[in-house]
Amino acid sequence: MEVVLHLPAVPNVELVAAKAVETLGEALGMDRNGIEAVSVALVEACLNAMEHGGSSFVVRLAGEDGVSPRMRVEVEDKGRGFDPDACPPDVSTRVHGCVSKRGWGLTLIRELMDDVQISSRPGLTRVRMWKELENAP
Amino acid sequence: MNETQINLKTTVLDDGLGLISAAGYINNEGGQAVADAASELVGGGCQSLVIDLDGTRIINSIGVSILLEIMEKIMEGDGKLAFCNLTPTIAKTFEIMGLDQYAGIFPDREAAVTSFGTDGTA
Repeated sequence: MEVVLHLPAVPNVELVAAKAVETLGEALGMDRNGIEAVSVALVEACLNAMEHGGSSFVVRLAGEDGVSPRMRVEVEDKGRGFDPDACPPDVSTRVHGCVSKRGWGLTLIRELMDDVQISSRPGLTRVRMWKELENAP
Repeated sequence: MNETQINLKTTVLDDGLGLISAAGYINNEGGQAVADAASELVGGGCQSLVIDLDGTRIINSIGVSILLEIMEKIMEGDGKLAFCNLTPTIAKTFEIMGLDQYAGIFPDREAAVTSFGTDGTA
């Protein structure tokens, strides 16, 4: 079971992807908390794709069988790319009085999902992430 | 779950406590709408605020960043901010972004209002 969305970079299009997560998640038997965690992570990935990626991007969703069944989410764009290691996961110094409150997207993705792989170079960025069907936030 | 238009309702409770009920997508627009409602309540004399997110299922980091800015303005005025009715994912997002270090997080509106010492009649 796979869902593929070719989305234009227009305001609130990330909600189309979130709706697809809800539909596929329910079909796979994922609980509400898991669906919402994946939705928020996917929204952040979509925002990154629109910020760095240009006029359109692709979202792929699929269920994966195995010892721990899970949902796979992939966001791919053909933009200028970014350095995923330039976004530190340590958030303790980034609250209250810090210079910028932006740039939380990758941190949220890594915290809300069970596994994340990011590859990025000019012309192709791919964020792949997985959430076990029975592993809520 | 994916309402693009946020629905807001503001109420002034006792003792200078303001209540904002927000249902919908908290993105840049939704967050700014909450910020505008907060500014209006503070301008009207509310020192502290409760933000009830019952009906909000999805947020993004830009929207939460705007909520952080609201929190800082409230704290600059020696007020306090509390949130209630968060989904587990929104609660975790607040934890990751540090809101829970500076704002109260409560399971429901009654608990949030009671934390300020008012009767909470909305």
